Amino acid sequence: MKKSTIYNSTAFAALTLAFASNVYAADPIKVGVVTPLSGSYAPIGKQVRWGAELAVKEINAAGGVNGRKFELLFEDEEANPPVAVQKSEKLLQQDKVDLLTGTVNSGSTLAVGQLAERNDRILVTTVSYAPSITGSQCNANVFRVNANAFMQSSALTNWLAKNVAGKRYFFIGPDYEMGRSTIGAFEDDIKRLGATDTGNSFPPLGAKDFSSYMGQIRAARPDVIMTATAGNDTVRLLTQLKEFGILSDKLTLAGAAGAVTQQNIAAMGGAAEGFLSAAGYSIDIDTPANKKFVAEFKKAFQSDPDLFGADTYGLFYLFKQAIEKAGGTDTEKLRAAMEDATWDTPQGKKKIRKGDHQAIVDMVVVKVKGNDFQTVGRVPGEEAVGPDNCKKF
Amino acid sequence: MLQAKASRIDAKPLPKYAARLSVGERLVQALKPSHSDTRLLRWCGLAMLALAIIFPWLAGSFYMRLAIESLLLGAVALSVDILLGYTGLLSLGQAAYFGLAAYISSLMYLHVTQSFWLVALTVSVAVAVFSFILGAIAIRASGVYFALITFGAAEILSKIAHNTRAIGGSDGMIGIPVPRIPLLPGVAIDLHSNFAFYYAVLAGLVLIYLGTRRVLNTAFGSVLCAIRDNAERVPYLGYNPFWYKLLAYVMAAQVAAFGGLIYPLLRGFVAPNLFGFEVSTKAVVVSLVGGIGTLIGPLVGSVIITFLESVVGSYTERHLFVLGLIFVVFVMFLPDGLVGLMRRLSAVRRSANA
Amino acid sequence: MEDLLTYLHLVVLPQMIDALVIGAALAIVALGLTMIFGLLDVINLAHGDLYMLGGYAAFTLIGWGAGYWGALVLVPLLVGAVGWGLEELGIRPLLPRADRAIVTLLLTFGVSLMLRDLAQVVWGTDTHSIAPPFGGMASFADVFVPTYRLFIFGVGFIAIVATWWLVYRTRVGAVLRATAVDPSMVASFGIPIRLVYGFTFMYGCGLAGLAGVLLSPIYAVFPTMGHDFLVMAFAVVIVGGMGSITGAVVAALLLSQVQGLASLWIPPVWAETLVYGLMLLVLVVRPSGLFNRIGEA
Repeated sequence: MKKSTIYNSTAFAALTLAFASNVYAADPIKVGVVTPLSGSYAPIGKQVRWGAELAVKEINAAGGVNGRKFELLFEDEEANPPVAVQKSEKLLQQDKVDLLTGTVNSGSTLAVGQLAERNDRILVTTVSYAPSITGSQCNANVFRVNANAFMQSSALTNWLAKNVAGKRYFFIGPDYEMGRSTIGAFEDDIKRLGATDTGNSFPPLGAKDFSSYMGQIRAARPDVIMTATAGNDTVRLLTQLKEFGILSDKLTLAGAAGAVTQQNIAAMGGAAEGFLSAAGYSIDIDTPANKKFVAEFKKAFQSDPDLFGADTYGLFYLFKQAIEKAGGTDTEKLRAAMEDATWDTPQGKKKIRKGDHQAIVDMVVVKVKGNDFQTVGRVPGEEAVGPDNCKKF
Repeated sequence: MLQAKASRIDAKPLPKYAARLSVGERLVQALKPSHSDTRLLRWCGLAMLALAIIFPWLAGSFYMRLAIESLLLGAVALSVDILLGYTGLLSLGQAAYFGLAAYISSLMYLHVTQSFWLVALTVSVAVAVFSFILGAIAIRASGVYFALITFGAAEILSKIAHNTRAIGGSDGMIGIPVPRIPLLPGVAIDLHSNFAFYYAVLAGLVLIYLGTRRVLNTAFGSVLCAIRDNAERVPYLGYNPFWYKLLAYVMAAQVAAFGGLIYPLLRGFVAPNLFGFEVSTKAVVVSLVGGIGTLIGPLVGSVIITFLESVVGSYTERHLFVLGLIFVVFVMFLPDGLVGLMRRLSAVRRSANA
Repeated sequence: MEDLLTYLHLVVLPQMIDALVIGAALAIVALGLTMIFGLLDVINLAHGDLYMLGGYAAFTLIGWGAGYWGALVLVPLLVGAVGWGLEELGIRPLLPRADRAIVTLLLTFGVSLMLRDLAQVVWGTDTHSIAPPFGGMASFADVFVPTYRLFIFGVGFIAIVATWWLVYRTRVGAVLRATAVDPSMVASFGIPIRLVYGFTFMYGCGLAGLAGVLLSPIYAVFPTMGHDFLVMAFAVVIVGGMGSITGAVVAALLLSQVQGLASLWIPPVWAETLVYGLMLLVLVVRPSGLFNRIGEA
């Protein structure tokens, strides 16, 4: 081949490459959101979706990430792990997403996390609070930006021990992995703090009638009832506690952060009045960032955000920061960029703990007042976060 | 040969008043194995096999793996057809064997061995024992009651899996490895390769389909058809329907178990949902859509519905509604399914040509 | 001995009373289901979703100002009308088939999927609630029962008695029972069978709707609430005898007692599984259930 041809073709190739990488720079950053959009967990998926959409809208309007815009791809996992894995695989292999998020129940998060690892991508959960996800079943490709059950429990129980006079506690939670581990965390913390465990009940998940537990509760004469129910189960439990006359001014209700949320608070009919929980987010957090977030959220979706929406919203700012730091979406670099990251969210600063990829979140203790949530206490993230139980990386 | 010629000579065009059969009668006709139609079916079967063989070259890795999953569902649907299309028993609990195979397979991979064949053998034996016992109990009832017993059994297994923390409880178990299947000394199928996985499962399913077809073409199959058509008369012919039904049930369980054996290798995990009503009913739905009594129908239906759901699911959250609608439409207007529809069309064409 | 009596008094007795109330509600749902099967050979898998529609209809009607009592009267009629529509459009064309039990089961399953999704579209995914018309607790002998639950039991009782009276003491009931035995004979008397079928289906669905209104104040309203009663109702129908009214009532009360009492001694999730096991046992030992079908001796 003539020298000039080689030079010409090399120049041509170089130009093409430069042109191509320029085009590449404008490529959207695809984020797959596999979340329950139908079925009994749909209300949570709805908040996740809204949080993601709002964040992406804001970030893209402000110029994107190094000139690249986020693109969201939604898939419905129906809170069913086999479906979640199938849809996630589609997002990973067909749609070639760069990042994955959205899973709600712990079974789905664990299975999809494993899939993400096998496909060399990162999954971040913004909802699942099973401790095992960043504990015994931790995974180098899985991150969590929301508070887990241990964190909720330690923050809440600490507050309760200081602020509630009565020391008799009763626990009730749905009989499945999540319910049992949450109640287990509550019980351990309460006993450590020197209060009395007067008993527990584990109705089946989705139980409609709690009347058979009323006798046991009454006999225990508790000062505080702690529950790990969620969604409709909480509505039923609390309305029936009211129905059976167990609720009173002397009884304190408390429980997991997912027990009373935007989705079910209106249905309680006052039965949830005074319900206490500890969460990584509350709508009345008094920072300019949160006020702006809530206003924008309301404007866009005609509904208040809850912790699921807020945590998902905050995630995208972590993505933005990490991608900018890593200079792209290469998984190795992203992981390094995310592992020690501190970033701003509506609820303040969050920091990812390197050892187990759990975000350290300042906790707020929230009380239900009418149809609203009111912050009554705060626990700094470092205090609440608990030990690093992850031994796999 | 002679028989075929005779039927062509004798065939007259259908008289007008007989041309429109009621939906029920069409279903009954579809269930009858008809010799004159098998040529078209055979061509269709070969065409689909050809499509299945070249599919990986057309599709990406996701669709290949989706196809594998649809084939596994197809195995369960095939087992439904063995029971419904050939023996007249509606089983609403084939997911029990799918799930059982999946869980046993997973437990063995996680705690006992990495040898594919050992796991396959264990699963096969376990499912055979379980289906023998459950079948012996369930077959004494018939019709609706049989359906309800199988449904109840699958529900109970689902609840046991859900409540037992030792096998993962409601979260299931993750971490099932992707093994290599040794075939001959030195030759192994590495399931890490999607191509190898796809062809291995396709080959396995084709073998199962052919095997099932072969078994059902024998006298055994004829007795099963007789039981389906008129169970009361069968003892008078000298056959004890109980043992035939039981054998068909055990056979069907093995076919469903094939799906469960492979699923954890594909997806890397198991969960109690695998025993669930959704899996059992989906197997029935796709069998109906494909065509009951044809054996190839359930496989066709499974592939079509799985891909349809994946596509529809990306566009709308109303995919449950769509699935329900498709199902209702087929139940009411196309009870013999797509394959049955093809059969009817070919019969019409045949009579028009004669 | 003292302890045992106290235990029976303060633990077992309240449990039994609670289970009695649940059993009455369950009986209403199971009655509808069993009548539909008894007469039409149709296994209505959409029954739970009709119960759900009842709850939503009540929520909407009360939102429009009908009040609880208005809803209590109107909702069964509305849901019954939906049932009639379902029967006319979906079930009737399938009835002539020999395998109708299977095909209608599949059809109602498809309808159930559609109804559930429709509910989510129309009413959204949030949980709704209905305020109970009255609160308060009744107590006797140290046992406390919310007054509203006694009301539920009362309505259930009336519904059961009314159904029994309808089926066994009226001409309409005689026609129903006769149709269950021999439809063509009844038709040859000049009685329009399609009306009989339609009426039965409507009545059964109306009962489901009634249960929906009745239970919404204590169980809340959301798209998947149909699941609450469906499997239990089927267990009841199977154990009691498919198509038997007495069976549905007896089995409903019996199974709810079994589940309630078992929950005292084994984890409640296993109590649920126990009920399914019982269902399976009955199917194996005596598939036709404890009692005989409507019309059979």
